[in-house]
Amino acid sequence: MAELLRTEALTKTFRGLVANREIGFTLQAGDLRCIIGPNGAGKTTFISMISGHQKPTAGRITFEGRDITGLPVHRIARMGIVRKFQTPTVFNELTVYENIELAVLASDRPARRRRDRVYEVLALVRLSDVVAQRVATLSHGQRQWLEVGMLLAKDAKLLLLDEPTAGMTAEETHSTGELVRRLVDDLNLSAIIIEHDINFIRDLKAPVTVFHLGSILVEGSFEEVAGNEQVRAVYLGDEV
Amino acid sequence: MSTLQAASPPVQAIRRLGASETGLAIVALVGFLLLPVFVSGYPIYILPQYMLYGVMAMSLALLWGVGGILSIGQAGFFAFGGYIIGLCFKWIAIVNPAYAALLIAPAMGAALAAVLGYFLFRAGVRAAYFVLVTLAISIIVEQVAVSQSQWTGGWNGMYIPRMSVTLGSIVEISLFDDAPMYYVVLTIVAVTYGLLRWLLAGKFGKVLIGIRENEDRVISLGFDTSLYKTIAFMVSGALAALAGALYGTHAGFVSPSLGGVLFSTEVVVWVAIGGRSSLLGALLAAIVVAWLSNYLSALVPKYWQLVIGIVFVAVIIYFKGGVAGAFARYGARSNAGNGANG
Repeated sequence: MAELLRTEALTKTFRGLVANREIGFTLQAGDLRCIIGPNGAGKTTFISMISGHQKPTAGRITFEGRDITGLPVHRIARMGIVRKFQTPTVFNELTVYENIELAVLASDRPARRRRDRVYEVLALVRLSDVVAQRVATLSHGQRQWLEVGMLLAKDAKLLLLDEPTAGMTAEETHSTGELVRRLVDDLNLSAIIIEHDINFIRDLKAPVTVFHLGSILVEGSFEEVAGNEQVRAVYLGDEV
Repeated sequence: MSTLQAASPPVQAIRRLGASETGLAIVALVGFLLLPVFVSGYPIYILPQYMLYGVMAMSLALLWGVGGILSIGQAGFFAFGGYIIGLCFKWIAIVNPAYAALLIAPAMGAALAAVLGYFLFRAGVRAAYFVLVTLAISIIVEQVAVSQSQWTGGWNGMYIPRMSVTLGSIVEISLFDDAPMYYVVLTIVAVTYGLLRWLLAGKFGKVLIGIRENEDRVISLGFDTSLYKTIAFMVSGALAALAGALYGTHAGFVSPSLGGVLFSTEVVVWVAIGGRSSLLGALLAAIVVAWLSNYLSALVPKYWQLVIGIVFVAVIIYFKGGVAGAFARYGARSNAGNGANG
């Protein structure tokens, strides 16, 4: 399997406060990875550096062998790394169709294929029934799915999902897990997911990376991580 | 496939709103085409000027209504175009100076916008700060027009001949009379409107709307939004300058106040009243409000600005989308009604 993403000694400091300390991280093409860790562990900072929203203080990021450290967001996105933000970041005043259409326009597909592609993606994220609705009228969960749909429509290679199930019902959370699994298995995408919901992470059956105080504490399967004494101490201690 | 078919009707309903604007535009065009048959004299003389204000209004509707970028410098571009055609009549003799001006004015307007837009948008200047810079465009154009009097005539302004339509050295049609000039301007306005509608119906327009709604999302999808915004600003500057050049040769006179802040804010009022998301709304609102201002200033010289001001405030409070927005809402409601019945 080919290496998709690698970070070397990736460091980010905010006025002396170390948010990420020399993170070495690799992801193979077609892999799914969960990142967990207590609040302030540096998870979102890490993802923001990959997506280009934050410039690293030091270190290097390569994607498909190419150095993308510090490139502007839109260039990184064009290479196939797209991000879902913690709160649904969609076009609230536009229709569901128009939202997905904009993402398809970002994908270099020929004009005559765009319409079909919009409906294809809408079917994948189960929003076919609300295609003409204004996004502001959708439920929170539907908007989360819409944003995932936009990432798909853009023809992403690597999805960066920052708490994709935040604010979802248990049922929505469960089907989001299935969706992500399907995207990775059927469409051969790769994804890095930041999550707090332990059940969601367990159901994904993906390797887990634990962040703590800006560093990687441990990596392994869910069972290994859950059984790790250090992890229990800093993160799972009061839950497991 | 069943989802595709079930989903299509509402999408078509949305399209019908765009189609209704096209229908209205055609009705307006036919009306304007026939008007000189029934009316002559002052209205036919003055309407082309108002239509050119309308082009300036569309230049702002594109930028502000579609892209969400407010400019109070449009009159600066407009006056810039007016002075360019004046200088072309002074300096260019080999070819038809008006033709040269109608190419040079939009090119220079676009170039000015490109330089400003490139640096400002790339540096991430947004919203209120950008508005302040566009305010400066108006002030600078006005000041340059005052200070460079050897070219511009300073406070005295600049007289500009009426253009002619020429074809080589054989055909020359003077546009000195009202009706020929009226039809030339109407043609240019109609073509401009059509081209803008076409431009906005495609990828460019859709991305611009996305930028208005949520620029961060558009960037994160991989669009270079500063490039899109710069191009929008260039198109807008080119249009305002083109309109200004035609205005110059039509009115026969330009002066520094044409580029001033006061006139620039008037453009904002037109577009807000007409409905900033509709090109036709902006175009027609400019014509109607400019006509109304002219009429009221003769009727109630002391209070006409107050009347326009009250209309503006009322629109902002009660019809945020302007007249066009109110129309669209009404259309959406009656469409929804039809859907429920059928």
